[in-house]
Amino acid sequence: MVSPRWRKVLRDAWLHKARTLLVVLAIAVGLAGAGTVLTRWAIVRAVVQVGYAASNPASATLRVDSVDRSLLESLRALPSLAEVEAGRTASARARVRGRWANVMLFVRQDFTDVSIGRLIPEAGQWPPADGAIVIERSSIDLTGVGVGESLFVALGGHGPTPLAVTGIARDVGLAPGWMEHLIYAFVTPATLASLGGSSTLNQVHLVTRDRTLDQEGVRAVAFEVRAAIEAAGRRVDDMDVPVPGEHIHAGQINSMLVTQAGFGVLTLILSALLALNLVEAMLAGQVREIGVMKILGAQPGQLATMYLAFAGLVGLLAAIIAIPVSSAAGREYAELNATMLNFDASQASVPWWVIAVQMAVGIVLPVVAAAAPVLRGSRLTAGEALRDFGMSADGTGGRILARVGGMTRPLLLSLRNAFRRRLRMARTLLTLAVSGGILMGALHLKASIRETMDQTFRAMRYELTAGISPALPAGAIERAIGAVPGVRAVQAWGGGSAAIARPDGSWGNTFAVSALPADTRFLRMPTVAGRWLNPGPHRELVVGARLEDGEPALALGSTVMLRIDEQFSDWTVVGVVPAVLTSAFVTREAWAAVTGDTLLNRAVVALADTGITAQSETRRAIHTALADAGLQVGSALVAENRASVEDHLLLVADFLSAMGWLMLVVGGLGLASVMSLAVLERTREIGVLRAIGARHGSIHLIVQIEGLVVALLSWVLAIPLSVPMAWILGDGFGRIFFKTPVALTPDPRGAAIWLSVVVVVSLIACAWPAFRATRISARAALSYE
Amino acid sequence: MPLISLRQVTKTFRTPAGPFAALSDVSLDVEAGDFLVVVGQSGSGKSTLLGLISGIDRPTSGTVQVGATPVHALSERAMSAWRGRSVGIVFQFFQLLPTLTAAENVMLPMDFCRTLRARDRRPRALDLLESVGVADQADKLPHTLSGGQQQRVAIARALANRPPVLLADEPTGNLDSRTAQGVLGVLAELASSGQTVVMATHDATARRLSSRVIAIADGRVVPDEPPRG
Repeated sequence: MVSPRWRKVLRDAWLHKARTLLVVLAIAVGLAGAGTVLTRWAIVRAVVQVGYAASNPASATLRVDSVDRSLLESLRALPSLAEVEAGRTASARARVRGRWANVMLFVRQDFTDVSIGRLIPEAGQWPPADGAIVIERSSIDLTGVGVGESLFVALGGHGPTPLAVTGIARDVGLAPGWMEHLIYAFVTPATLASLGGSSTLNQVHLVTRDRTLDQEGVRAVAFEVRAAIEAAGRRVDDMDVPVPGEHIHAGQINSMLVTQAGFGVLTLILSALLALNLVEAMLAGQVREIGVMKILGAQPGQLATMYLAFAGLVGLLAAIIAIPVSSAAGREYAELNATMLNFDASQASVPWWVIAVQMAVGIVLPVVAAAAPVLRGSRLTAGEALRDFGMSADGTGGRILARVGGMTRPLLLSLRNAFRRRLRMARTLLTLAVSGGILMGALHLKASIRETMDQTFRAMRYELTAGISPALPAGAIERAIGAVPGVRAVQAWGGGSAAIARPDGSWGNTFAVSALPADTRFLRMPTVAGRWLNPGPHRELVVGARLEDGEPALALGSTVMLRIDEQFSDWTVVGVVPAVLTSAFVTREAWAAVTGDTLLNRAVVALADTGITAQSETRRAIHTALADAGLQVGSALVAENRASVEDHLLLVADFLSAMGWLMLVVGGLGLASVMSLAVLERTREIGVLRAIGARHGSIHLIVQIEGLVVALLSWVLAIPLSVPMAWILGDGFGRIFFKTPVALTPDPRGAAIWLSVVVVVSLIACAWPAFRATRISARAALSYE
Repeated sequence: MPLISLRQVTKTFRTPAGPFAALSDVSLDVEAGDFLVVVGQSGSGKSTLLGLISGIDRPTSGTVQVGATPVHALSERAMSAWRGRSVGIVFQFFQLLPTLTAAENVMLPMDFCRTLRARDRRPRALDLLESVGVADQADKLPHTLSGGQQQRVAIARALANRPPVLLADEPTGNLDSRTAQGVLGVLAELASSGQTVVMATHDATARRLSSRVIAIADGRVVPDEPPRG
């Protein structure tokens, strides 16, 4: 049997069900937002941990001049290695829907015996047969063809060859092709040879026996392998040692998650403030009842338990609503994120502990929020409680307003009402202002990302880059490409790859180096630190900020020894550019002095047309012209690079916007709840207004204007709030993705959009309270206790 | 030994207009089984006197003793527990909890003070409601009851824990005269059965039913008046 005091708790909740429901919904929204992030994190973590580990990713990859069976056998005998396999990658192009798309071909000797970087067959046949191609799942949409159709693939200067698409496979170690704008595919050495490429494998993938090694530990093993390869008379061109166990996109996804988790917690806090408003209002309305219960023998602890249980009940209901929503949304979100990481989370289930955590947070949050007013209320003496006279008139705010002239009485009343419960209003204001700040901040961030991308790509005054083999004198390259219709200007560059040589004889991961004229008009990259290159053969290096971040030895002002073409030379880092690409820049003269080679192997090309289709056609014409001249060429359009980078970044900004919208829902529910409380508390006043002749319209207007006052104040607060919000987001975001803060670029539409949104939210939120107010009759109101 | 004993009690309230002495140097004894009626004009200090006896208010100076308990010295926590078991209070405006039925309102003090086992509370509440003549209203919410019925429920609630003292502050102040007579009859009946009752009232007819009448004027007790009747 339920005791009377618990019946009171339940019936009080039911008596004010509309108001209780609003707060339940507000907490549910906050909980659902945070729960979605938690669910997503738990699922993606489980899927990635299991899936990535199951793929047995390579600890390191070395690029060698050639790999054969005997070399592999000798390497397998090394005690530090658990597994060794050979492979090859080749860049190609495919004709897709009338345009050329970039293709990355992965070659293995025997796809049935792949242990490192295991592939998961998903459709069609596996493995690829000679003359056939299997497409990686994440890039199948880019090919425009399906299993059973043909993809026209061209390698170097060779013409396109139709390859039968016989299957689809997943490689969880690759960033998704749709995001990289790159078609990944798997072919046999014979197929590669049929396209005009070399069938010799040139990569050694290895897995260390000690799986606990960090990146430096793996690098040490890789050097041991390098020594063994060189002892066998082969040449090692470079090697790549990724962070062990970390997926290529893990850093970005985790950073995004941390940001979202922050916003999830903020949404929860804001919804807790609304719970606080509800419990405080409830206590304010029940002070006399508290006094009576004290007279009937209630102890402070008993009263506190009753009201905290009410708060817990609100939280429980919110959790019951939120958990199915967060589970469904979290799974969808996890699937999206897993797809971004190239994993499949469609079969994943929500871990039980995620549900338990949400349930616990849902119940505890409003209890914690309500604790202070409940304890204060339960400690009132019976005398204090019985002498409570409820809501008093306004203080300072009202006196200030009284001095403002030119306002009608209803307007003045609305304004005064808005200031009567200042703390409560402040909480609602805060909720709305923060959601506005985040939404506007996200808009500013998007504008800032675009501006930063504009700045970066504006510096690149060319539309296409081309790699040419064999190398030629600058004039020859410029004449060959300059003669192609659609080319506006061209400049030959040199360069290649370099790695930092370390004192212990090892070297770091290789990075790209562009050798260009110091005064090139094709690149006007502003430096974020230091200066641009001086003309001449000085061994000066300007590095991209991302590269500097990955290789601390490349700090501004430091002198580093680089391994270039097996030669070692000292270089001084003179500048850092906010490049989104991990490359470095040197002068052509310095590059030639170090390599002893004045021939160049790449070109930057300014195109006459800005349209992507026309650019693609010009690109094809360049390929044809160079192939006709007996040259092999690989190229990339800057616009495609930009789209690839921008897609990653804007996706994150969109997620931030989503959190802002979620907070807006919480804020709107908060406003509705506060306004319904205000109407309830002022029932008697409204009755008096009606008794002295106020009509429906006037009462409705008074409530709506009061809500609008709060909404407009929140708008005013949100504008300055959005600036630090954008700055914090931009700074963190930029440091994650660009390694420098993004250029803060306010989006002027933000304030106007938010104003219209907040006005609409206010009108909707206040509609029901205003309607309720018009239903109050003078007689009923004046008998209201 | 008197059941209720006040010695040189003064109660001063702070108000925006300055200190206000609601009671000044009041000494009073009430014997067990007395039906004491306290009369006086509005603001004379009647309710303050009842507030001091029940521990709702604390004296600024002086002592208040109920039975063996020095009420003025109790902590707030001890006060609630003591009051729930020792004093029943009936208010002018009934003060029934609106979301509980009549029976549940009566059961509430038993629930808070755990004076009876849970299964014995409802029968006790129904007995009490029967004794004040509203047993048929047991499962109704207060707002569906008449003023007289509500006040009878309030009396039943005040008696829930069998308190030695029943305090009634203007119990008929919100009732019509006919209903008021009924409520006074209930209180008189209780007093005649040995229940100590202290009632503050304006109602002249209450004097007839009481065993003793005191008047308060300007915060001071004027000499006992003999009950009329």
